Amino acid sequence: MKTLLIKEFKFTANILSYIFIAAALMNFFPGYPILCGAFFVSMGIFYTFQSAREGNDILFSSLLPVRKGDVVRARYIYVVVIEMLAFVLSGIVTVIRMTALADAAPYINNALMNANLMSLGFSLLIYAAFNTFFVGGFWKDAYKIGKPFLISCIVTFIIIGIGETLHHLPGLAALNTPFEMLEIQLPFFAVSVIIYAVAALFSCSYSVKSFERIDLTL
Amino acid sequence: MEKVLEINGLCKNYPGFSLKNISFSIEKGSIMGFVGRNGAGKSTTLRSLLNFVHPDSGDIKIFGRNFKDSEDTIKQKTGYASSGTDYYPRKTLAQIIECTKLFYPTWDDSVCRSYLEKFNLDPGKKICQLSEGMKVKFHLVLALSHGAELLILDEPTSGLDPVSREELIIIFKKLAKKGVTILFSTHITSDLEKCADHITYIKKGEIIASKEINEFMADYAPAITTLEDIMVHLEVEETEDF
Repeated sequence: MKTLLIKEFKFTANILSYIFIAAALMNFFPGYPILCGAFFVSMGIFYTFQSAREGNDILFSSLLPVRKGDVVRARYIYVVVIEMLAFVLSGIVTVIRMTALADAAPYINNALMNANLMSLGFSLLIYAAFNTFFVGGFWKDAYKIGKPFLISCIVTFIIIGIGETLHHLPGLAALNTPFEMLEIQLPFFAVSVIIYAVAALFSCSYSVKSFERIDLTL
Repeated sequence: MEKVLEINGLCKNYPGFSLKNISFSIEKGSIMGFVGRNGAGKSTTLRSLLNFVHPDSGDIKIFGRNFKDSEDTIKQKTGYASSGTDYYPRKTLAQIIECTKLFYPTWDDSVCRSYLEKFNLDPGKKICQLSEGMKVKFHLVLALSHGAELLILDEPTSGLDPVSREELIIIFKKLAKKGVTILFSTHITSDLEKCADHITYIKKGEIIASKEINEFMADYAPAITTLEDIMVHLEVEETEDF
């Protein structure tokens, strides 16, 4: 597995997937739907799937002395690591916004979603949707990326829409503040963490089984 | 003699084509030619060996082990090369070698260098800059550099010039003497006459013969004396129908 991971990160990964981790810094942007940062991170990962497919990576990996299922597991680990790097970066930005920049005028007057526990929770849901619908969808035939990505994008923008709408609903404005309504923000974040973890594990397990069944065309 | 590869009752059904009860075995250090017309099921059979294609039924043992239970161990000792198959066209040979060698504890850099030189392969070149024949040679370099004990080769000589084919046949013979087992499919039956000690003939998804080449040839002698003529003879009904 270690060598497969080295291959995934050094050989297979598209450079854009690393560059797009910086999209997590979009959490600094006032007046911008910051959840799009998570979408761009997942788009960077999409480029790796695209370039790996063009490079016939599935054949290359399947010829290596590894179990077929480990090819899938290694790719999932790569995806989760990229997402978690971006998540940690967005977490740092969020903490800065919630503390040092809490009183900054652009953030106080921000009509869109602020960086807080809710936004972090929603970004995890976006990654969970990407892992379920795109990554899981890809391994059904280990070739098609268009339809799974389209479905993943639709779900992602529904999540972004919900996130951006929620704090405009009567009585929920405090969900857009750093430390108010923590009785909702904290459980929401915790549930998002659980959904992300469960989605990644189930999607990976399902994908391993799907990939084992595929007849590879060389 | 130790059997390196045993296939028993392999079946695979596709719409319009089926592999029917494929059974044959190869002994250590032998070279088996896998012969048949286009679409007879050669590639499907070879791909089944490495689980690229999932058989509907049948039993495949490589090095005495079931593939599903020992996939990584079997692949450590097996090399696969096929014409018309390539990967990472924009990567250089050196990049692919650097990545591939990570997976093989038995990888030998000096063997790799010597085969690259022997096949006139420039490690700085990209895969997309190679001809089909050169790509097959590169796949063989990878297989030989990790000391594969079983080579599964799908039409390895079909894109090669006569000199390269001759070089390859000499290499196959040397490897077989060292105990490497080689199973290769080809349409160029003259190559088999030079190096194969066993022939397995597949027709419409069924094995119609699997025996030593001398026995196989004797079945058709003295009327037919070359593998190519035997192949034409075996397929003659179909050709006449056409």
